[in-house]
Amino acid sequence: MIAHHPDDALLMAYASGMADEATGLILATHLHFCSECRIKSAQLETIGGSLLEDLPPQPLAAGALQATLAKLDQVKPYERPRPPRSRDGTPGVLRAYLGSDLRDVRWRKMGPRLAYAPLFRRGGMAVRLLRGVPGAESGPHTHQGLEYTLVLQGGYTDVTGSYAPGDLQVMEAGEHHNPVADPGEDCINLAVTTGRLTFDSLIQKIAAPLFGF
Amino acid sequence: MDALLLRVAAERDRSAFAALFTHFAPRVKAYLIRLGASSGVAEELAQEALLSVWRKAHLFDPAKASAATWLFTIARNLRIDAIRREKRPELDPEDFMPEPGADADAGLMLAENEGRLRLALRELPVDQIQVVELSFFADKPHSQIAEELGTVKSRLRLAMGRLKRAMGGDA
Repeated sequence: MIAHHPDDALLMAYASGMADEATGLILATHLHFCSECRIKSAQLETIGGSLLEDLPPQPLAAGALQATLAKLDQVKPYERPRPPRSRDGTPGVLRAYLGSDLRDVRWRKMGPRLAYAPLFRRGGMAVRLLRGVPGAESGPHTHQGLEYTLVLQGGYTDVTGSYAPGDLQVMEAGEHHNPVADPGEDCINLAVTTGRLTFDSLIQKIAAPLFGF
Repeated sequence: MDALLLRVAAERDRSAFAALFTHFAPRVKAYLIRLGASSGVAEELAQEALLSVWRKAHLFDPAKASAATWLFTIARNLRIDAIRREKRPELDPEDFMPEPGADADAGLMLAENEGRLRLALRELPVDQIQVVELSFFADKPHSQIAEELGTVKSRLRLAMGRLKRAMGGDA
């Protein structure tokens, strides 16, 4: 069971189309795991439908309908893309951004126990995968901006609780934590951050900018 | 509207399409203008949205959503694509993790509850309908809205509580 969910405001940002692409990706990946939020998200879309229905209509130019009717024969029915299925359970929505399954990701080492793989940056948001062997610590750090973390494999624990696959953690600016990877499989997370992290330790303070954190 | 959409899907019925166009294109145009598009761009995209309706009608499932909700998702995605020039990461409807104990029929409740939701929306107190509208019609990235939340967040929680009760579920 998923224990940690996005709140209504975040789900609404996704349903309304206001969420930026990075936030949208982590929310869509949460939905891959979470039936409760899939239902909520569909309910929120019905609010969009109701608002659309109740908007005062803006008339189109004369001839707009005729112009569109004239195009109907020129367009092909839409076919939903059918990407190849993952061989290791990688969520399809994430796979589209990785270009591969999780097991084929090329990791960049950050010391002996941690690795990362950058996905993309857009509008001040950085999206990356993080990986830690059991017992690995990220090192105590404070967030200057928001951080969303979604567990894809394994799990981790910090002062706020334990996080397993599908769980989403939201850290607000100024919050401080030190996640530690749980025993078992390597912990793999999808992380979206705005703003840099400030690490407590001097070595990490120096290393973080090198790795783009 | 649902029946018209089903006729477009099954019979490629042009008069049904024309009726859908007449109803929805001016609403999609209004939606885009509300979100800051110029009248010209909104006009063009409203026509494109209705052309998508023609192309995608076979994907419409009245058990999952009403025609208005389905149109909303098309207009929303078109705006992200054409105006924001981003993608909207979407869950593949045929590829997600089944969760043990989840209520598989819960989705089927949606369409029949939409009427009740619409009534509940209209009866929300003004400050609550404002935050719901802000969430759908204010073109700001979520991070920016989050910075401004505060009272908005609690109002949204109240609004969501009422809407959920109206939809007859706690989900």
